[in-house]
Amino acid sequence: MKSLRNSPGSVLMTLFFILTILFLFFPIMVILPMSFSAGETLQFPPKSWGLRWYREYFNDDLWRASTFRSLRIALMASILSTAAGTLAAVGLDRTRKSLVPVFTGLFLAPAIIPNVIIALGVFIMAVWTGLTSSEPLLVMVHAMLGLPFVLLIVGAALRQQDPSLENAARVFGAGPVQAFVTATLPPLTPAIISSLIFAFFISFDELIFALFVMGGKVTLPVRIWSDLQHFINPTIASVSTIFIIATTLAMTTAEILRRRSANRNA
Amino acid sequence: MRITLIPALLLALIFFLIPVFIMFYQGLFDPEFTTQHFDRFWNRGAYLRIFINSVKISAITGLLCVLIGYPTAYFIVRRPPSVRPILLFLVLVPMWMSVLVRTYAWMVLLGREGLINMALVYVGILDEPIKMMYTSGAVYVAMVQILLPVAVITCYGTMADIDQSLLSAARVMGAKPFAAFRRVFLPLSLEGAVTGFLIVFVLSMGFFIVPALVGGPKDTMVANIIAVQVAKANWGFAASVALILLVFTLIAMTLIRVVSKRLIYSAREETS
Repeated sequence: MKSLRNSPGSVLMTLFFILTILFLFFPIMVILPMSFSAGETLQFPPKSWGLRWYREYFNDDLWRASTFRSLRIALMASILSTAAGTLAAVGLDRTRKSLVPVFTGLFLAPAIIPNVIIALGVFIMAVWTGLTSSEPLLVMVHAMLGLPFVLLIVGAALRQQDPSLENAARVFGAGPVQAFVTATLPPLTPAIISSLIFAFFISFDELIFALFVMGGKVTLPVRIWSDLQHFINPTIASVSTIFIIATTLAMTTAEILRRRSANRNA
Repeated sequence: MRITLIPALLLALIFFLIPVFIMFYQGLFDPEFTTQHFDRFWNRGAYLRIFINSVKISAITGLLCVLIGYPTAYFIVRRPPSVRPILLFLVLVPMWMSVLVRTYAWMVLLGREGLINMALVYVGILDEPIKMMYTSGAVYVAMVQILLPVAVITCYGTMADIDQSLLSAARVMGAKPFAAFRRVFLPLSLEGAVTGFLIVFVLSMGFFIVPALVGGPKDTMVANIIAVQVAKANWGFAASVALILLVFTLIAMTLIRVVSKRLIYSAREETS
């Protein structure tokens, strides 16, 4: 193996890998310094530094309103999605083998099927039922979109777990609910928190459903989208920087949690 | 069936299955059964052209993602197990970045006064800035950057299942490094590459942010037609386009599955 690693081929491979990672990160990282420009337009590197575009963002009532709306929706959607997904993962674990592919297929399909198709159906349904511009509707749609990810994360954690724990709790007289809450649930905590994080970002970044369904109640992605269609507004650089930092922190947390739970089960 | 499945089933039923059925209805009835929306799609060359163009863009994006993603995944899987999660994490973080934010980043980079033009002029490769935004090239660069992590993790998934000692065994038996890779590793990991292509292809078919923001008029994709028709309140037509897209994605998924299975099995027999 050592000889392989130092061969010219593997030097090339290492270089290729570094270039790929740069390609993935470079456009994201360029935004960060640009957002701290004090000038009228975006420059790299900025000629003068300042928080001008952050002030522009935080002092604008409409930006603030759409941000809070998106935060609210994402928070509720991630809780709903994680609760429903965790319960479903536990249920799937105990369903007849022949039925499992049918249910998983149904739950995972929205991750693959172009969202614009589902969004159109939801939009027509919203018009028929008079539920356009309804935040609860968008919360539930986003919860549905998060299900595939919750199911995969919690399902994986569940498969590593010893089912005899819950059985033992039942033997010692716990009811089914109590056994679930005291024996099955606690070891799943890291997976559940990761699920919350992923489901949150699925909702927070979602554009097409919000665009079709929400009418005048603009969410943060809808606001960014409509601004981008007209001009490159430097305020978006500051919003993007906040997005980037939040995503990086959240993903790092999720990764640490995932590793901790993997170590515990090992 | 367990009762704990009920909340998730309700969510999937009400906000996924029923809307898809509503779309079938909306595309085919107005209020009587009609194929007028579909006739409009087939008879006006422009819509069909956009559809074929979307297939082309998605296929090329899928191919590029696998061509870059496969070696990237191979690099990761050949590292010691303790290093692999860190390298995978580097690929996964950009995947969870907002698609809007990443598209915006490309708008900033590719503009006439953007960083890439400036750098190329400064270095002397270009005499003056060239047009990069609103071109097909911009669409490909942005789409590959957004979907590449998906191809990497799909390829990595099958590679991680392969017994790495097989490669060493082939080497011990006298195979040259590349021959060992081609005869042993490639056939076993081909399934991941084909699946990766398939998933990126299907995801690309639904893209609409990237073509709308960095592409030119020629780069319009199917999802853009749907969004525009919804804005114009032509639901019937929008639904028929969505239906065609849905049927196409489902057929593409099954078709490529069948083909890839045959390809993979014949390759396996050849190795054995």
